[in-house]
Amino acid sequence: MSESNRPKRTILVCCGTGCLANHSLKIYHKLKELITKAGVDVAVETYIKTTGCNGLCEKGPIVKITPDDIAYFKVKESDVEEIFEKTILQGEVINRLLYLDSVTGKRFKSHKENDFYKRQMKIALRNIGEIDPADIFDYIERGGYESLKKALFTMTPESIIEEVVKSGLRGRGGAGFPTGRKWKQCAGYNNYPKYVLCNGDEGDPGAFMDRSIMEGDPHSIIEGMAICAYALGSNTGFAYIRDEYALAVKNMSNAINKAKEAKFLGENILGSGFNFDIQIVRGGGAFVCGESTALMSSIEGKVGEPRAKYIRSVEKGLWGQPTVLNNVETWANIPVIIEKGGEWYSGIGAPKSTGTKVFSLVGKIRNTGLVEVPMGIALRELIFDIGGGITAGRKFKAVQTGGPSGGCIPESLLDLNVDFDSLTKAGSMMGSGGMIVMDERTCMVDVARYYLNFLAEESCGKCLPCREGIKRMLEILNSICAGKGLAGDIELLQEICATVSEASLCALGKSAPNPVVTTIHYFEDEYLAHIRDKRCPAGVCKELTTYYIDPENCKGCGLCLKNCPAGAVSGQPKSWHSIDQKLCIKCGNCIDNCKFHAVKIR
Amino acid sequence: MIITINGRQCEAEHGEFILDVALRNGIQIPTLCHSEALPGLASCRLCIVEVIENNWSKVVASCVYPITSEIEVVTHSEKIKRMRKTLLKLLGARAPQNAYVRKLLAEHEVTPAARFQGDPDENCIMCGLCVSACDKIGAGAISTVYRGIAKKVSTPYDEPSKTCIGCSACAGVCPTGAIKVQESHGKRIIWKKEFELLSCAVCGKPFITPEQIAYLKAKLNQEIDEILCETCKRKAAGERFAQTCADLTASKGLLR
Repeated sequence: MSESNRPKRTILVCCGTGCLANHSLKIYHKLKELITKAGVDVAVETYIKTTGCNGLCEKGPIVKITPDDIAYFKVKESDVEEIFEKTILQGEVINRLLYLDSVTGKRFKSHKENDFYKRQMKIALRNIGEIDPADIFDYIERGGYESLKKALFTMTPESIIEEVVKSGLRGRGGAGFPTGRKWKQCAGYNNYPKYVLCNGDEGDPGAFMDRSIMEGDPHSIIEGMAICAYALGSNTGFAYIRDEYALAVKNMSNAINKAKEAKFLGENILGSGFNFDIQIVRGGGAFVCGESTALMSSIEGKVGEPRAKYIRSVEKGLWGQPTVLNNVETWANIPVIIEKGGEWYSGIGAPKSTGTKVFSLVGKIRNTGLVEVPMGIALRELIFDIGGGITAGRKFKAVQTGGPSGGCIPESLLDLNVDFDSLTKAGSMMGSGGMIVMDERTCMVDVARYYLNFLAEESCGKCLPCREGIKRMLEILNSICAGKGLAGDIELLQEICATVSEASLCALGKSAPNPVVTTIHYFEDEYLAHIRDKRCPAGVCKELTTYYIDPENCKGCGLCLKNCPAGAVSGQPKSWHSIDQKLCIKCGNCIDNCKFHAVKIR
Repeated sequence: MIITINGRQCEAEHGEFILDVALRNGIQIPTLCHSEALPGLASCRLCIVEVIENNWSKVVASCVYPITSEIEVVTHSEKIKRMRKTLLKLLGARAPQNAYVRKLLAEHEVTPAARFQGDPDENCIMCGLCVSACDKIGAGAISTVYRGIAKKVSTPYDEPSKTCIGCSACAGVCPTGAIKVQESHGKRIIWKKEFELLSCAVCGKPFITPEQIAYLKAKLNQEIDEILCETCKRKAAGERFAQTCADLTASKGLLR
């Protein structure tokens, strides 16, 4: 068989951050070595690539083989030889490495058939997991930079903006401001230079969609920015990326260089006479620098503090010039909107929240990972059908959306449709799309405390209500969790929340009380249990928790005894065990390990 | 254009800040971080007011809110008063023993909240005026450091700053007297840095650092022949003025 006639096969090894941490790079190198060694003896010409994140981080490392459409999950280095021998050489499927549906016990050859992927719709994540982010030709092969060509040679700046307006796309970074309207406003100012910025300072705990796009499909961001720049007449762009995202910085830098070589960036792009360049600015990792005006201050070399936004950035932004700032995910949607049209995009999702949204599902959920679904999906479908429900057979309690600016949504609202407006109405917000799922063993006062603690470190600290308000709310919450809550604490928290939410300088300060407001609103009984009864119903706050073993349920299996690090459990096999309260350190290992619900919280 | 503040019609220029228009019309709005010389900090939020436009009300900081249409402003609505009291309560928790803060609390009838553990030695309220003054002078010796609740004003690494000229403008603008300036035996210590003080050529009072003289020389691009303190400088200027007047009247024969 001649080289060109040989059938081709590609092995895609996921090298997203989650899989990398589980040694997927070793899998890649080992497979590559075996393929190279076998050389032309392999009947099927085989390529191997590293890709960005496939989303299902819980079951990584992931190895996909095309065109066979085989996906292997939880692959270990020790599986590599078998994959090579059986699948690559003989085309045989290794059953035990396929996705296993834990409920039905069914395995799926193609990843597209399982519930996690089946219900998704990928627009922003269209290429991630399918292409090698370091190879611009992979991007081009899948239609990359066609939209830029279309924009440059067949569209006017006005018609580009009109398409984006028509799409109904709203900013994916948090506030959900209509992207098209932002561009249109900026285009209306006859003041140059104008700047096009990418916000890659993702900082919400539990959110990693922007990171995944920057790492896995950097050209989609570059193309989106270049299209916008052409529409606005801007020649300079900045991508602000937090420095902790080392792989994102590396892949974005590499992609910018490759795009320049291929004339998609730089002087006289594709011979059109239009110039546009992007520089990377590495952020110091301050959460507040994700706020638009603080981000601009940081690019200008000043302290990353927000400024009053009574004059908007589209008029006076970076260095006082008209500026459009969009989030990573927003940019990744632009090329598709230009390719397929605004009307096509607006037909997806919910009426006032069009398109798809990427969510990161984390916390006490089975399928931890990144998913992209049409807006308007029910929270229940997202958490239970795609996310696979709660781990360890526990009960769902709440989901935290929108990061530190968001709030906690209780079980009673599980049928809520996830879009910008419904989440805001429920007291939370879309934010960047982080979803932290919590079960019955999560203390809601402690959750509010966690977010306040985060904000106490990450507020810029400039304005009085945000800085001092957060400090004092945290002080009260610490005291409630330590069993020193006083009558009147809830009212005092509410008083501070009301002022911080309106008097603060920036949107981060204004939304900082949300975790406290929503937990009081939906879980006031838990606050009262802490303050009045000196009890933590979830068994999290150590000073307020006493574990005991119920003789009715205890089978004397000894698992609690085995897992107790303090030697506080005693008992003979097959008879009731008990906990010595003097020795107990309240770590919760006994309750977490008991299979018979015998360990209880008092 | 005409805007309404507390029901009163006030003339305003496009782009003018609400606070400036209010003060010009004798309407008092409490401020803490506002200084005419160093505007735009908007950090203390005491100057919040309600702006009503198209039947929609929002809370804004009057010191930085530019007037672009004929809005209605309310400076002391129940909501604003309540929020201001909470802000003062938070301020009182931060600097419980500071005289200026205590005075403000008393003026607004706010009782300090017993729930909070305040630091009795804290006087700085983080308004940022000192940093702004130092920037304006061009020394850049102090800045805010850290963020969140740990944010504070300091020199780089809390060490004596190389660029500090010892002018103490920071202490001069501080509303709460939080910046310590020690002066004795011809020396000044500020921000852990010790400066020699040069004396006034007339009264002999030590008052200025050599670094300040160097700064002034560079700024004015001229030599400074005689170092005079503020009082003596004023006196000398007055004498020069009187002499000029006398010379003028004598030369023109206008002496009565």
